[in-house]
Amino acid sequence: MDAVIPKTVFYIFSLPISDTLVSTWVMMAIIIIIAFLIRKFKPTAGEMIVEMINDIIGSVMPEDINLTKFLPFLGTLAIFLFFGNIFSVVPRMVSPTANLSTTAALAILVFLAVHFYGISEKGLWGYIKDFANPIFMLPMEIVGQLSRTLSLAVRLFGNILSTDLIAAIVFSLIPFLVPLPLIALGLLTGILQAYIFVVLASLYIGSAVEIEEMEQERRLLRKEASESI
Amino acid sequence: MWQLDSSTLITVVTIIASSIGIVLGAIVPAVMEGIAVQKALDGITRQPEAANDLRTTLLISMALLESTAIYVLLVILVLLFANPLLDRFF
Repeated sequence: MDAVIPKTVFYIFSLPISDTLVSTWVMMAIIIIIAFLIRKFKPTAGEMIVEMINDIIGSVMPEDINLTKFLPFLGTLAIFLFFGNIFSVVPRMVSPTANLSTTAALAILVFLAVHFYGISEKGLWGYIKDFANPIFMLPMEIVGQLSRTLSLAVRLFGNILSTDLIAAIVFSLIPFLVPLPLIALGLLTGILQAYIFVVLASLYIGSAVEIEEMEQERRLLRKEASESI
Repeated sequence: MWQLDSSTLITVVTIIASSIGIVLGAIVPAVMEGIAVQKALDGITRQPEAANDLRTTLLISMALLESTAIYVLLVILVLLFANPLLDRFF
């Protein structure tokens, strides 16, 4: 029971605070300290990290799109997930993403960001018009939006929880040296899942802001026609 | 035949069903991911310069395939650790 449902550590005004939330706060403090240290002593390393995230996002976004608009959101997501997925190696801490509430919150953020960026890129009417291009695809599109949000949340949660659980079970059987390879596997899975979450989020945002090629050609033709007249 | 009370019966049935479920849920995605990796490796050996594109696509599609196995695992974890049926019959 305590593996799937996170433990409640204490209450603030009858608001239950789980152990994953406490480790999220510790992790946020660590990330902020590391960010300040990097900015103070080694700014080039920070540049390198941003370049790397930019390359990852750029590999799945459509070609002619300015990435600087999406970089703050997706970069924050990448850094948070990178630390959050491997945070269970810190003693007495659990991974913040081993709680379904955390991953559901992140997935809902991605869901909202897709529509926000889509509307801000194309305008409200243009986005609604492009949302379901033949109108009978509208139910499919709505189901697709909801199901991919669910699968984003559940995939991350299940992966992180299962690797943590396997390490914990083996640790309870043989505590000495044997769980180490499984913890290493958990690190690998965590980093891979962070990568996949960010790539999928940028894929969804990319498909929302992408202007369909036919539509673009039609716009160009209309523009040329209006200029020639 | 023994007389089992309902909670024991539910527990036993849950354990058997979870075992069968996790076996099937592990085998089928593993085989299918194996097919995906095989095709991708075929592509890389035939055309090594396409390796980077193939790797990104392979990772994304592997994650999407993997999620079905994770769903099975989650359902089984809920059945084993937080069984909703046990509360209903008590």
